[in-house]
Amino acid sequence: MSRKSSISAREFEQEAIAQLSALLGVASRLTRNPADAQDLVQDTLLKAMRARDQFEAGTNMRAWLLRILTNTFINRYRRGGLERSVLDGPDADPLADGWISASTMESMREPESQALRPMLEQEIKRILDELPEEFRLAVVLSDVEELSYKEIADIMGCPIGTVMSRLHRGRRLLKSRLYEHARALGIVGPEASVGDTSEKQEPVVDLASYREKRVSRS
Amino acid sequence: MTSSCRQTIPLLEAFGDEELTPEQLLEVEQHIVDCGTCTERVRLNQALHSSVRSAVRSAAPVMPAFEARIAAALRAEAERTEVADIAVEREARHHHMLSWRTVVPVAAAAAVTLVWAASTSTQQAQLRGEKSAYAQAENADELLEELVDHHVNGGGPQVTEPSLLSELEPQVGVPLSLPSLKEYGARWVGGSVVPVSNQHAASLRYMMGGHRVTLYVYNSSRVPIETRLQPRTVRNEPVYVGTRRGVSIAATEHRGVGYAVATDLNDDESAELVAAVY
Repeated sequence: MSRKSSISAREFEQEAIAQLSALLGVASRLTRNPADAQDLVQDTLLKAMRARDQFEAGTNMRAWLLRILTNTFINRYRRGGLERSVLDGPDADPLADGWISASTMESMREPESQALRPMLEQEIKRILDELPEEFRLAVVLSDVEELSYKEIADIMGCPIGTVMSRLHRGRRLLKSRLYEHARALGIVGPEASVGDTSEKQEPVVDLASYREKRVSRS
Repeated sequence: MTSSCRQTIPLLEAFGDEELTPEQLLEVEQHIVDCGTCTERVRLNQALHSSVRSAVRSAAPVMPAFEARIAAALRAEAERTEVADIAVEREARHHHMLSWRTVVPVAAAAAVTLVWAASTSTQQAQLRGEKSAYAQAENADELLEELVDHHVNGGGPQVTEPSLLSELEPQVGVPLSLPSLKEYGARWVGGSVVPVSNQHAASLRYMMGGHRVTLYVYNSSRVPIETRLQPRTVRNEPVYVGTRRGVSIAATEHRGVGYAVATDLNDDESAELVAAVY
């Protein structure tokens, strides 16, 4: 049974200030505009202050505030719900999960020049902002706020399976565009072909040895 | 790609998110120990995860001014709620004590109250918050009466030249500039200083298509304005709106300066006007 909180205004203010960074981070990626993000956070916290009796003691205050923030964003900016993505529906990304080689993955995560890191970070932010809203929110709530699938599902008002799908597709788009960017910068070379080259040399089933064993057993 | 890779890859994201069942976790761990490519997949996922976090956090640092703005907004909201609760309590008590004939006018008077807390003496400051809130509520009706009286009956202006407004500043205690409000078709008539509840506010009078508009400007840190009217958001700023004796009043605050308009327009128009003054 849920237990409603009796948090005082003063206690709430302290909790809210402690969550400002998380709220502003998510709000900035949702609105993509610093002034709108600040207004969104202020509206969220004023609403939460008025509704603080509804907060269930012992649950995640940050997740509760993020739910109010997301709803406030939808009501203010997206009266019809989150932006429908042109990529929603059948999978629009033809790249399979095994499309990239181990050495390329290593180069992507460990660029040789440290000077490239800030540029990559900037690029990640840009790519993130270009992601469809539902994917972007799922990725930010998971990777930045480290919320569980269940908490993200509550915030986004969808089943856990949908959260997993949005996360997967968002991350794959992010990875794929980052790969294109890394190639343009010369951080990684071109793949020999789509698929994992190192694994291609390794046969899935060694038929010759299988036959040998069958023969020796019989 | 081995068949074991094909079974493991769909689980790698949930592995990174720590969402696997114990059985799945064991399965993935056993696989990645022997598979360099899947180990690299996990590392890339982790690197991406931390880069996303770092990019998002660094893009939106919390500046001290923003933190102060939020703290002030939350405190104002808490005080507003407290005053409203006390007023409701008082009203409930009156319901018990008074006959229905007296309850009606009292309730009507309480329906719209702008709380203008006069600066308190040292002795008053020592009062407990509860008593102070009562005092604020007591002052509220009186204050509102004064604002409405001045709006309805106010005397002639002290200054009619915008450049002379600065002469009123020492009494009011805040810089005064003249909001044009031309986009609303408003014409400035003149300004004066009005004593209200032992404080001084600047009164700027406008005419707008036959409607009289009085804009009060005052020092909101010395004379904080709270309200138990319906709050609303106009242009992303909180505005408090209500009506008394047919006069619509809308109040807001910006950077320590309080603004209130008294008009014979409707509440929506008053709220729009007060949100446009700074």
